[in-house]
Amino acid sequence: MQMTETNSKLKSMVTYIVLICLSAFVLVPILWMVSTAIKTEAETFSLPLRWIPENPSLQAFKRIIVEYPFGTQLLNSFINATASTVATLICATLAGYGITRFNFKGKKVFMSFLLVSQMFPAVMLLVPFYTILRRFNLINSHAGIVFVFISMSLSFSTWMMSSFFNDIPRSLDEAATIDGCSRFQVFYKVIMPLTLPGMISVAIYAFIMGWNDFLFSSTLITQDKMKTLTVGIAEFSGQYNVLWNDLMAASIVASIPLIILFAFLQKYFISGMTAGAVKQ
Amino acid sequence: MDINLIKKKRFNHGYLYILPTLFFMVGLIIYPLGRGLYISSYKTDLIKRWDFVGLENYISILTNKQFYSSILLTVRFTIIVVAGHFILGFILSHLLNKKIKGIAFFRAILILPWIIPESVIAMIFKWLLNPLYGLVNQTLMSFSIISEPVSWLGNGSFAFVAVVMACIWKGFPMIMVMLLAGLQSINQDLYEAADIDGATGIRKFIHITIPSLKGVIYTALILDLIWWFKHYTIVWVLTQGGPGAATSLISIDIYKRSFEYFEFGAGSAVAIIVFTIIYVIKFLMERGFKINADD
Repeated sequence: MQMTETNSKLKSMVTYIVLICLSAFVLVPILWMVSTAIKTEAETFSLPLRWIPENPSLQAFKRIIVEYPFGTQLLNSFINATASTVATLICATLAGYGITRFNFKGKKVFMSFLLVSQMFPAVMLLVPFYTILRRFNLINSHAGIVFVFISMSLSFSTWMMSSFFNDIPRSLDEAATIDGCSRFQVFYKVIMPLTLPGMISVAIYAFIMGWNDFLFSSTLITQDKMKTLTVGIAEFSGQYNVLWNDLMAASIVASIPLIILFAFLQKYFISGMTAGAVKQ
Repeated sequence: MDINLIKKKRFNHGYLYILPTLFFMVGLIIYPLGRGLYISSYKTDLIKRWDFVGLENYISILTNKQFYSSILLTVRFTIIVVAGHFILGFILSHLLNKKIKGIAFFRAILILPWIIPESVIAMIFKWLLNPLYGLVNQTLMSFSIISEPVSWLGNGSFAFVAVVMACIWKGFPMIMVMLLAGLQSINQDLYEAADIDGATGIRKFIHITIPSLKGVIYTALILDLIWWFKHYTIVWVLTQGGPGAATSLISIDIYKRSFEYFEFGAGSAVAIIVFTIIYVIKFLMERGFKINADD
């Protein structure tokens, strides 16, 4: 008895030590970003390095809005990510319901195509997208980039939604039909509200995809006033003198919306990440 | 008669629901793919020059050493990164599955890298690895591990290590969370029965945990392999494929061929070869897992 008790104490000690070490591995870069962002420019380039700045200030945050186009870029990121999320969510929800509630020709092909489309290297579609968007004059437009984001997140979202719809018993559909609901009412008023958690997960997934995109946003947008935050941050480094405190402040601003979302909706993040994977 | 009518109606409705998705899939994936195939048989800058060359792009790529070294580099990168994700993910999912104090706190911290945008991560690592004022060099020097600043991103092998580290940092939470969800869906009765039979921790792990997790591991492995094989952003922002070709992954190769050398045909051809490789890998892995499952 004594033995097992010390044994389990030792075990949980080891657990904590490993957790703390790996948390440090995660936290060091993040905290260094924060520490740099509240330093003055002179202090980012002074040795020895300090974790706690001598004169912490929020000037960098003010500067990135006033002196750099980050305000516009932030807005562009929001517009692109939100619009593509809404469109993806509508399509994926409808399709998820259609797949699980109806039999139709080509359903299998459709489903397996959803999976295969996950395998295309994003870069592979880059050149075709470029030519297509150019032909329709959609380079440097929100619409163009939103279409591209939809195509990137839609297949996995549809796959996720159909797994969520699958969990809702078909007897509910029947009961609602008997109660006099039309086909669409069954979907819209009865079944869809029950998949709300799934819809939130899909929305989060699509939003992250759009918000974090760099490849497409950096290639299909060339005009400064249409650029997004992730691109703006990366292009900072192309300039000769990088002001790391300003850059890190911008990095924080680019990460904050997702961290806030995460803080409130943690459980949906996780079910979004794991949907389909665990249920197979 | 009636049943037939209902069936017919159902057909139409089903199509209606998938129509928007189908529209986007055809317009934004199938059509672009076809377009990519078409472009891959031309020598073109997309503006003036459109010379049909048939399979010449493919042939010149497949007979060129540079392509193979880029593929090999990508394979090495992918294997190391995915292995890193699984080692960390495996350890952490087991630890986070324990019911001890503060576990929610650790989980929240450990997921953070997944949420932070890739280009931001690349910039943070660039700053950490800054030769003169970077935290890494200064820390190593203060412990006298190195005597003078190392230019991490200026040296081929160091740059590769740096890029791999950043990508492991970014990607392990996804595997961790997937495995954790898998662990939590294992029926606890199995472990209790094993306890009664006097099974040790390791035996329980081999005979209960691993077999139960097989499906999750398979899905996570496939997704992660595909995801990182075609990875672009972190590496591009950190090193642009350099120095030399030290971190020139295949995605970066495609990008450079297309948008730096304006050989869109060759770029598209590489993209299509890469897709074929990914598809074959997935097919083989599916086979492998099925054979295993039949045991």
